[in-house]
Amino acid sequence: MRAQFILSEIGIGLRRNLTMTVAVILTVTITLTMAGVGWLVHKQVDVMKDYWYDKVEVTIFLCGTNSSSGNCAGKEVTAEQRDQLNADLHATPQVEQVFYESKREAYERFKVQFKDSPDLVRNVSADAMPESFRVKLKNPEQFQVVASAYQDRPGVDAVQDLKKLLDPIFKLLGVGQKVAYIFAGVMLVAATILISNTIRVAAFSRRRETGIMRLVGASNLYIQTPFLLEGAVAGLVGAVGACGLVVIGKWYVVDQQLRPLLTFTNYIGWSEVVATIPVLLLSGVLLCGLASFFTIRRHLRV
Amino acid sequence: MIRLEKVSKSYPTSTRPALDGVDVDIEKGEFVFLVGSSGSGKSTFLRLLLKEEVPTAGRVHVAGKDLSRLSNWKIPALRRSIGCVFQDFRLLPNKTVHQNVAFALEVIGKPQATIEKVVPEVLDLVGLDGKAGRMPDELSGGEQQRVAVARAFVNRPMILIADEPTGNLDPSTSIGIMKLLDRINRTGTTVVMATHDAAIVDSMRRRVVELSQGKVVRDQTRGVYGYGA
Repeated sequence: MRAQFILSEIGIGLRRNLTMTVAVILTVTITLTMAGVGWLVHKQVDVMKDYWYDKVEVTIFLCGTNSSSGNCAGKEVTAEQRDQLNADLHATPQVEQVFYESKREAYERFKVQFKDSPDLVRNVSADAMPESFRVKLKNPEQFQVVASAYQDRPGVDAVQDLKKLLDPIFKLLGVGQKVAYIFAGVMLVAATILISNTIRVAAFSRRRETGIMRLVGASNLYIQTPFLLEGAVAGLVGAVGACGLVVIGKWYVVDQQLRPLLTFTNYIGWSEVVATIPVLLLSGVLLCGLASFFTIRRHLRV
Repeated sequence: MIRLEKVSKSYPTSTRPALDGVDVDIEKGEFVFLVGSSGSGKSTFLRLLLKEEVPTAGRVHVAGKDLSRLSNWKIPALRRSIGCVFQDFRLLPNKTVHQNVAFALEVIGKPQATIEKVVPEVLDLVGLDGKAGRMPDELSGGEQQRVAVARAFVNRPMILIADEPTGNLDPSTSIGIMKLLDRINRTGTTVVMATHDAAIVDSMRRRVVELSQGKVVRDQTRGVYGYGA
């Protein structure tokens, strides 16, 4: 009885206010989609950092037949030079770990990385791959020290800092994340105002009913709950829409577009997306519920 | 049942208080007319009983409760013990007669079975049996007021407040409504009715409390509308 009464009141309210309700739902959808995208970009940065920072940060490429730097003078690195470098690297205090990667190993990794481009793999032989020392620093910021120490050593082709390479990408993602959050923030304001207005209109259009309810002694709970739930239902529908968009976005943008295009890193998986769904749903309900609540407090007097 | 002790009420927008030191004691089962010209404080008097307004000074007791000590969340319980009828009926135009009366019970959480039982009973009592399915705009003014009375009485309140219930009705229809209020009063319900209708007050010969400029200027058992009438 209670539930049935309240449900029918919600239905009446939402239908009576259909255009406003749709506007609320769409605004909430966009707000939460933006928030979700911002969050997932953040997660993507984490995933990339985990992936890359765990790996070697500085790569010291050794001279090979294809090396173009003047330091090599067209000659391959000699075994003595390589052993010397290896020993020195192990003795360098800033260095935590050193791995040697042979041409063969580099080629294997290359084949795995570019397995989607068989033409490229076919045209490259193991011999063309550079040998390298992959160096993990105790503190990644100390790249410059290691770089300047080994840059001009005989047999060294180039020193490459992976972190430097990745920084622009992280910066780009950071900007994307900020933009998404700013959008979400602006839309949040719009959504709050819109919900507040919708509930006010709803309260006004039902003032006759609420007036009688107050008169016959209906409790505040009874008078206010339909309005509150009306807001919450609109918020929930909007949040479901946002979840849908986030899922589609992850599937289309990440899986269909980025993954085949940019193979050098890995991407957020479904677990990150699934984890955002309850947060988005809850935010939608809370956002609209609270906005409704405060509006009701102001416009439905006891 | 109702006791006002030195009650004053001032509104911030007005220099003269709407009620000024009013002392009134109404026993259980009484029928009281509240008379006086417009702006004499009748409506404020009635609103105080519902705690729609709080007095600036003095105490209001209703049904054994001191309203100044009644916390806000208990106001609904107070209002459930008071039925209200107004000059403008205040029916919901998109609900049938039955639904209008049932609404008053639904919103205080009465079970459906009770509603199905008591609504036809009260419609019968007010003389609207057979019109339960009508919409308010299909009824005459007198019939609409009967619906309003049914809604006010369906929860069997201890007190019935009527604010000029015959103000929009012709004299013969008004007599019908008064007979109905009288019948409700005979069930033991206290009735407080604000009115301008001299003929009704004179014919009923019940207690009359006259307000003028916010003060009680006359309190007469078996009184009439005006002095010397």
